[in-house]
Amino acid sequence: MRFKSIFIIAVLFPLLCLSQQQVEKTKDTVLTQQLNEVVVTATRTIRQLSSLPLPAQLIARKELKETNRTRLNTILNEQTGLITVQNFIGGEGIQMQGLDSEYTLVLIDGVPLIGRSAGTLDLSRLSIGNIKQIEIVKGASSSLYGSEALGGVINIITEKSNKNGVHGNLMHRYGTFNENETNINLDYKKENVTLGAFVNRSSSDGYNLNNATNINTLDPYFNYTFNTRLNYNVTENTKFLASARYFLQDSDYIPTSTESGESKTREWNAHVKANHKYNEKWSSYFEFYASRYFAEDYLNNIEDNSQFSESFYKELLIRPEIRAAYKVNEKSSFIGGLGLDYETLKRTDFSTTPKFTSPFVYFQYDTNPNENLNILLGARFDGHNEYNSQFSPKAAFRYQITDKLAAKGSMGYGFKAPDFRQLYFDLEGIAGYTILGYNVVNTRVPEMLDSGEIENENDIVVPLSNFNGKLNPENSISYNFGVTHNPISTLKLEVNFFRNDIKDLIDTQLVANKTNGSGVYSYKNVKKAFTQGIEFNSSWRISNSLKIAGGYQFLLAKDKDAIEAFKNGDAFASNPGSGSFKLNEDDYFGLFNRSKHMANFKIFYTNTQHNFNTNLRVNYRSKYGILDTNSNTYLDRYDDFVEAYMLWNCAINKTFKEKYELGIGIDNIFDFTDEPTSNNDFTFINNIPGRIFYAKLNIQF
Amino acid sequence: MKSKIHKNNFKTNSIMNKTLKLLSILVITIAFTSCSSDDDDSQPQLQIEAETVSNLYAPQQGGQGQPVSGEFTKFNFSTGTTTTSDTEWDIAFRGTSIIINGGTSSGTTDEAERTGNGGAYITTGTFASVTEVETGSFLQDSETGHVLSNWYTYAGPPTHEISPTPGKILVIRTHDGKYAKVEILSYYQDVQPNAEYNNYRYYTFNYVYQPNQGETSFE
Repeated sequence: MRFKSIFIIAVLFPLLCLSQQQVEKTKDTVLTQQLNEVVVTATRTIRQLSSLPLPAQLIARKELKETNRTRLNTILNEQTGLITVQNFIGGEGIQMQGLDSEYTLVLIDGVPLIGRSAGTLDLSRLSIGNIKQIEIVKGASSSLYGSEALGGVINIITEKSNKNGVHGNLMHRYGTFNENETNINLDYKKENVTLGAFVNRSSSDGYNLNNATNINTLDPYFNYTFNTRLNYNVTENTKFLASARYFLQDSDYIPTSTESGESKTREWNAHVKANHKYNEKWSSYFEFYASRYFAEDYLNNIEDNSQFSESFYKELLIRPEIRAAYKVNEKSSFIGGLGLDYETLKRTDFSTTPKFTSPFVYFQYDTNPNENLNILLGARFDGHNEYNSQFSPKAAFRYQITDKLAAKGSMGYGFKAPDFRQLYFDLEGIAGYTILGYNVVNTRVPEMLDSGEIENENDIVVPLSNFNGKLNPENSISYNFGVTHNPISTLKLEVNFFRNDIKDLIDTQLVANKTNGSGVYSYKNVKKAFTQGIEFNSSWRISNSLKIAGGYQFLLAKDKDAIEAFKNGDAFASNPGSGSFKLNEDDYFGLFNRSKHMANFKIFYTNTQHNFNTNLRVNYRSKYGILDTNSNTYLDRYDDFVEAYMLWNCAINKTFKEKYELGIGIDNIFDFTDEPTSNNDFTFINNIPGRIFYAKLNIQF
Repeated sequence: MKSKIHKNNFKTNSIMNKTLKLLSILVITIAFTSCSSDDDDSQPQLQIEAETVSNLYAPQQGGQGQPVSGEFTKFNFSTGTTTTSDTEWDIAFRGTSIIINGGTSSGTTDEAERTGNGGAYITTGTFASVTEVETGSFLQDSETGHVLSNWYTYAGPPTHEISPTPGKILVIRTHDGKYAKVEILSYYQDVQPNAEYNNYRYYTFNYVYQPNQGETSFE
């Protein structure tokens, strides 16, 4: 019901109250704004957002500032079709087009972030205090970016000063749970040199959503982000960029009442880029990128301070890349690139220190056969020695049907390389089981036979010859088809249909029975799944001071084998203490953690006369499944669900004497939390702490 | 927060089960009556027994990577009770392990000696849908493991809950060659795990026992 009303407001209200007069007034602003909205992520060239043949979104600096968001996860959660989902160790990863965090590539200024704990890239790690804009491209983009760009790409573009002299700003935000966020931005520009420095400190006392225990839902933490950058325009045609980023986080780690410890994260990135324009037709880029991610934690028994556990994770990525662009004529252009990824990982529970070397090559042809049609063709090849090499093509078009109406469609291949765990794990769990990476089964299982951990050959249930080949990357074919409609220049309506057909999803399998009664597990390509849906976005600039926006996503995400099992009557459920019963086809709910409906509605009001702006944002998420309560491995309607919820956020900011901005706001106005209601209940939503009051002060200089 | 459907269904389902039970008893009675009137000269057929065993306690020592030991709790279908007999038992429980009185020991400490010719297999379906024994499917315990090892699903952290996998029906040949089918309903005392999930190793299960030698039908 509540969802319906948002939908009605978002869709119908703008259409009903159109007034020509207002349109005239704001036409120029809107046009300028649309021209300013350029993105680089979709094609690796500078393109106007509105001209792209791919579904893309842009979150501008203005929105980041007015909403007082400070971390990447919080701003993404307010965008249509995006939601951050926590994994079991607390990392907050993005879900895009119904695909998990593992399948979305996250970039800073075009280069990838590493350090995925259990597959999830924790977005709360990223401060957005020095961000110009966030670009989001949906649908498989492996044709340009290779692995992980299966569901899409998120690219965070950092801000660079364009005014001569020394400029900067100082920001502090203080909120409930003793949340403190401090930003210092310092920029220096003289003619062709720009220097920038950014420091962020973030800390919180954490919170506890379960009053029945003393264990924090979020442990206290603090972190720092340091970012420096140098832009040097050697000549008009030769440009140089060097940037470095360092992230440091320390946190308490107290998962139970009997153990206590700490966890540490350290991450750095270094990025050097030089580009040169030879003539009107040719230009080239040389890029070098390196990133190191390091995490460690320990736990001690509280009683005697003896060590309970310890783990570390140390990942390195080095990537040299060259890229060339050739402009055939005004209508057509080529880009091509060549590079190498070198990756290593050292961590606990690994049999070796794996080293990956994967060369890649890609090209893209962008053409406008006539003034209404844009066609994009691209492909990329990623070579690999440890898993099967990948060829990822993509094709897209955009056709301007009338002045106000355009259609666009794209189809592409995406893949995600098997992660280090799936290839090299050698873990003995506390309950006695063993997990082996695909590439170590052939050496470890015979060893376990010799040592008696596996009693004899009969205990091996999967022939070891199955592990002679290479594991396939998880891969998908993604389809997007959309229409954009601008009935009037101030109103933008967009609809996009998407489908991702995913196969070779990697799952665990029992390889052998151990003498201790437990099993040896490894990985294989088995599962097939799909996600499909419709995304709708609308925004209407009613006047220069008032803008409203609404978005909605409908999503179906299902495991194809599960559909088959329900159809064949092979799925059963039971309740505690009573017998099993057969499940029907329509009892299957789909993949875990997916909401069928997600919607948002936002109003932004700016008063230039009194120098203030205010906004209200509402986000809705329909019910979703989180636990297979009845142990049949499927999410069916008899399992536990997290009920639908809505989050309301508001903010108001006022500028004094041009330099000072004071802001106050409330996140989660109605204090929604998922507190357990009984002993056997859990807190499923750990990343919504309840109502937060905050105030911020920003000083510009 | 959590779905209410869950609980509602629990009610309808238990009602459904009771109805089913009544129905099957009715069917059995009819079958029995008609059968005995056909074969007047043979021995009178014994009635099929449908029972529920509650809170059968099956403790163990060790576990969590340590060697498991401790006496198995043995059960006899013809008496419908637990037993300490070394020979007159059909299945036995220790922790999550279930052994049958047939075959050889898998090698764990304190495993009861098999003296009978029991067998077992696990089939998929609802309890009621298993109406006939597939005599070719029986296996026995051996060095490589227990036949009835895959009856449950382990939830992992944080609860470590053991739940009977829905749709898994255990079909058993008793030590003296008769047949029974079993559906395990819970591994926790009074079929409800407590907050700490440590009231475990209490089996509650339904069984149907066919006491007539050579009879392979459960109806």
